[in-house]
Amino acid sequence: MFNVNPQFAASSSGIGSLGINLKGFIFQLLTFVIVLLILRRWVFPKLVATLEARRKTLEESLVQAKATQEALTKAEERAEQILHKAREQADVSLADAREQAKNLITKAESSAEDQAKRVLKEAEQHLSQQQNRLREELKDELTDLVVLTTEKVLRSKLNPEEDAKLIEQSIKEIS
Amino acid sequence: MANFSRRQLARYAVDQLLAKQAPAEVAKHLAAALSENKMQHQTELLLDDIAEELEDRGLMAKAIITSRSKLPANLLARLADQIQKATGVQKVSVQEQIDEQVIGGFKVETAKRTWDKTIAHHLAEIKGGI
Repeated sequence: MFNVNPQFAASSSGIGSLGINLKGFIFQLLTFVIVLLILRRWVFPKLVATLEARRKTLEESLVQAKATQEALTKAEERAEQILHKAREQADVSLADAREQAKNLITKAESSAEDQAKRVLKEAEQHLSQQQNRLREELKDELTDLVVLTTEKVLRSKLNPEEDAKLIEQSIKEIS
Repeated sequence: MANFSRRQLARYAVDQLLAKQAPAEVAKHLAAALSENKMQHQTELLLDDIAEELEDRGLMAKAIITSRSKLPANLLARLADQIQKATGVQKVSVQEQIDEQVIGGFKVETAKRTWDKTIAHHLAEIKGGI
């Protein structure tokens, strides 16, 4: 509010010397006051309400954004945890799989070795049996040959005198 | 006539012979018994049983001696003596048999015992023993 000093109101040396029309000034002032009252009565409340609503909306948006940010952070942390856990589980599974594969390979090797030993042993046994059989056959054939030869020799060489000597010796064995 | 076993008939025959019954008479009785018991085909076996019975009782042994050629008389006599000692019978009846398959030596068979001293037997033992 402009306070007009009365000493300037009536003289041209006062406010008039400044080039201000007092009446006009008062009129404008009243107009201004009226406009101000109108604005205060009808415009400012709506404007303030609108601004307040916008402020609240912004605050809510900020809160929501913050909450969203926090949720996102938590989600990221959780995702990180899940990922970490999954990685650990994957590592464990991989280690288990490697261990199982190693065991399987060891078992397969052991089984193959056992089988090879068994086959070798069977082959040795078979060979030994074959050798024994051949040895027996050879012995039998050799014996047959010796007996046959001896028999032929004795048939041709044993004369009655020698036979009588043999019988004499054998008579003592009758008991 | 009742049923008799071959062994019973053999004992009967020996008993009758020891009782000085005529062998022909004993033979008739045995023939009748064999016929009655339908055992005509067992005549040879009955003779073997009689020989065994005689040997069992220490009366006589019938010895079959098998050799490659005929044995000299002295050897045969020594052999009979040795058989008599071994069987413990009063008398030995020797029957000679020639078989070239024995190669050499001799084989003695009585009703109850056998002594095989042939070269063929020794060779067979060697063949079976090795």
